Parts: sequence; structure tokens; C-alpha cells
Amino acid sequence: MRTDPVPLDGLNLPTPKQEEWKYTNLARALAPELLNQKPLVREEIFIHKSRGQIGGEVEDILCEGAQGQHQQPRLKIVIEDGAEATVIERHTGSGAYWTNMTTEITVGANAKLHHIRIMEDSAQAVHTNMARVTIGRDAVYDCFSLNLGGALTRHQIHAVLQGPNITCSLNGLNLLAGGQHCDTTILMEHEAPHCVSNQFYRSLLDDTARGVFQGKVHVHRPAQKTDAYQLSNAILLSPGAEMDTKPELEIYADDVKCSHGATTGPLDEGPLFYLRSRGLSAAEARMLLIQAFVDEAIEKIPEEAARDEARGKALAWLTTRLK
Amino acid sequence: MIEIKNLKANVNTDEGPKEILKGLSVSIKPGEVHAIMGPNGSGKSTLSYVLAGREDYEVTDGSVTMDGANMLELEPEERAAAGMFLAFQYPVEIPGVNMSMFLKTSINAIRKQRGEPEMDALSLLKLLKTKCKQLGISDEMMKRAVNVGFSGGEKKRNEVLQMALLEPKFCVLDETDSGLDIDALKIVADGVNALRDPNRSFLIITHYQRLLDYIKPDVVHVLADGRIIKTGGPELALELEKHGYGDIIDAVA
Repeated sequence: MRTDPVPLDGLNLPTPKQEEWKYTNLARALAPELLNQKPLVREEIFIHKSRGQIGGEVEDILCEGAQGQHQQPRLKIVIEDGAEATVIERHTGSGAYWTNMTTEITVGANAKLHHIRIMEDSAQAVHTNMARVTIGRDAVYDCFSLNLGGALTRHQIHAVLQGPNITCSLNGLNLLAGGQHCDTTILMEHEAPHCVSNQFYRSLLDDTARGVFQGKVHVHRPAQKTDAYQLSNAILLSPGAEMDTKPELEIYADDVKCSHGATTGPLDEGPLFYLRSRGLSAAEARMLLIQAFVDEAIEKIPEEAARDEARGKALAWLTTRLK
Repeated sequence: MIEIKNLKANVNTDEGPKEILKGLSVSIKPGEVHAIMGPNGSGKSTLSYVLAGREDYEVTDGSVTMDGANMLELEPEERAAAGMFLAFQYPVEIPGVNMSMFLKTSINAIRKQRGEPEMDALSLLKLLKTKCKQLGISDEMMKRAVNVGFSGGEKKRNEVLQMALLEPKFCVLDETDSGLDIDALKIVADGVNALRDPNRSFLIITHYQRLLDYIKPDVVHVLADGRIIKTGGPELALELEKHGYGDIIDAVA
């Protein structure tokens, strides 16, 4: 799988003919005026924690898009050996714009980074993000994406587990309606032994929204005792909604534990009937089940304030959607 | 008084509707315990689902009334509020919803339907503690997701706990003995016996006589091919255990 960023000049855009872009047609989503627009290259956002630096404030970054803009922010996070940080990245905006972002993250040996993305781009926005994450031995990296906004968003993550005993978790919750399209494409590369990686994504899709989950785990020959897991669960709230899932495993080591799973479908009738037989109305039962589904994803956010915030946003979404 | 009269119901299959209940009639007075026994495929589970109002089944004829009120035109949740309770043969797992949250929501949903005020958190907690203790259910189980990772015995005990909390007028127990060892069976049966009350009726649906050793029925019905073919006292269950369903079905046919 290739993990190239979307070309910054807006020329030679990837097309669905390329395997890794099979389910996402970027060119079709981009208005011509955005493509012809000279990109506004933003200054790099740089977060740096020096060796052993722990207990600092949460880094809270806001990135806003405006009508007609084609912007190319770059986010660079360097967490040196033994340091710890929490970064919250927020995206909002108004009108039609294209944010084509690159993220470069380095997590040093025995370092820890909690990364939370709250994606609330405008309903007409296109957001593409290529994140490259390199992780050193004994380190922890986790990323949670709450995807609520954007006409089309794509989060592409290429994580490279370079040393032994790393824990890397990529999680997300997609709450999509209207004609929204959200693509998560992951390449998890296990290069060293005794690492654990998790991918856990949940999607609620209403109207004609479409979700894409492509997750690949590549276990290189030296990466013995790898424990890799990937799971995508999607609930389709309307017959017009669609989910495309493509989990992949490519394994060259012979002593590993790798598994993947994917479910897509409407809400199960069994639990609905069980709850109704205990006095809950159909609407109350649906709400309880869907809230539980969403909450199991939100529980993955390691930082309490961010978790509460995400829970509040998800609840607001559910209340307007499920009446 | 529970009256099931000439109940006919279809299940929807891929090949179209199939008639499972073919005119079933039973009436149960307040305080009585009736058992319905029958071989596999006789319509036992269909009966329990039809009573509780599951959508995959279509009632084509007959009636079910509880103290004169027609149950068949009510939604499942309205039947629950009217005082009907089904203890499931296979209690459903609900990941992400913990037991105490579920029980609280259920109790208050029924109170809301009845126009009663919600129970406050403290009274609820006390009520839960008392009922759990009676059934030997641990605090730890209350923190787990509903039925997720529960043993067979825990699942059935959980059904009886809900029955005790919701205080229904009419309890339907669908194969409550399936998947239980003797010890678990005894705990569940004790729980049910503690709920016996002059104002409460029970319908126990079972394949085996074993459960009826612990919960003594007043009346036993034999169900075959969607109809009650024989009704008698508790001795009928023993007769079935001894000779099997074949003799009775042949005798009637």
C-alpha cells in the first residue's frame, strides 16, 4: 500500500483507480475553483517536548478554514525520549474550502503521546490529512478521531513501530449524515518484536453518508510476538447509507497474534425487543443502544476533559438525529 | 385473569408465512401456576414471543386478554407496563449498557408509562440491593454489561431479578431451565417461588419435567402441533416424563 500525501499542487490527484483510493473520489469532491486556487501554505505548527519533559499543559491547536481557501497546514510533533504530551487538534471552518494537511509525528523511546482530533469542518469542506508517525521502543502513541464535519474527509495514517514493546492505538468515531464521506486509511507497520497495535473504529451513518475503513497491518519478519488487532463496526441508520471496509493483514513473522473484524448493518432487532419487553419505548431503546455503541468508542479517549467533550458532542449529534 | 383464546399465529420465513399456533386456548386465574409442556417444534417459543409481542410473528386469529384488556393490540413496552413479563430462553447481550443502568431505565420507563413519578436514585439503590441479595447476585455483576459474559445460571438469575423488580401480574417463563445445572436451577426456582402471590399468574413453558419438581404447577397442559391436546394436574408432568410425548400425542390422534 502506498501512503503518499495528496500532491500539494493540487495536480495529479489520486483517483479511485489506485487501490488505496478505491472508495474515495477526491477530484469529484473538489470544486474547480478550489483546485485553481493558489494554495495558502500555512506556517508549520510545531510541538516539541524535550527529553524527559512530562506534566505540561494540554496542547490545544485550532485550525480554521474559510470560503474558497485551499490551505496546507503542516503539523509537526516531536516527543523526545521519556517525554509525555497530550495534543488536541481541532478543525472547524465555514463555506467550501480544502484543507490538505500533512502531519509528522515522532515519538521517542519510552515517550508517550495522546493525540485527539476533533473534526468539525464545515459541511462543504474537503479535508485530506496524511499523517506519518514513527514510534520508538517502549513508547505509547494513541490517536482518537471524532469525525463529525466535512463533505469529504480522509485521514490517512502511516504508523511505523520501530522498536520493541510499543503500544500504538488508532481509534475513532464517525458520526455522519447527509452526503458526508469519511475515509480512514491506515498502514500499521510492525518492524520490531513485542509490540501491540489496536485499531478500533465505530461509525453511525445516516441518510446517504458513506464511511470507508481500510486498515492494513504489515508485520515484518523481525516483528515476532506482535499482537495486532483491528475492528470496524458500523451501524447504518438509513437504507441509503454505505460502509466500505477493507481490513488487511500482511505477515512475514511466524509467531504473532493478528486479528481483524468488521460489522456493518442496521441496529440489531434482538436487543431492541429485549429492551422494549422491559418497558422502554422503541425510541428509548434505540437511543440507549446507540448511545452505548458510541460510548464504547469514546471510552478509548485517555484524557478525561477531552472524553467529556467528545461525549457531549456525540450526544448532541444523536439528539438531533434520533427523534 | 389471563385468557388465551383460539390463538393462531404465523412465523415469517423465507418461504412465506408458516402457521405455528393453530388455535391455542388457556385460561389462568390469579395466583395460579400453569405449565405448558411440549416436544420440540410444538410452538412453545412462538407462544412466548407472541405473548410478548415480537414483530416476526403474525397473529391471524384469537385473542389474549389480561383482566379483560386486549394484549395483542399493545406494543411490547405497553404489555410490560400492563404487567406482562417474559423471562427469555436466551436473554440478550447488550454491550455497553451496565446492569444497574439498565434496571433503573427499565423500572422508570414502566413507571413513566403508568403515570407514576420516577424512582429516586437512593430508593432504587436500596431496592436493587435487597432484591440482589435475595437472589445471590453480587454487586460486581451490577457493574457488568447486561448479560455480556454471564454464565447460563447468571443470565437466568438476571431474568428472575428483573421479574422481582418489575412486579408483573403475569409472568411467562420460556424454558427457564435450559442451560442450568441443578444448583442454578434451584436458585432460580427459589426466586420464582418467592414471587408466587395470590394476584400473580405464571405460565411456565418447558420441555422437561425437572423444573416442575421445584416450581409446583397447579395445571399442566400438553402442547403439540400448535394446540393444547391434554390438560391435567401436576401428575400429568410425571406421566410425560415416564412415557414421553409420543404416547399422549398418539392417544389423542
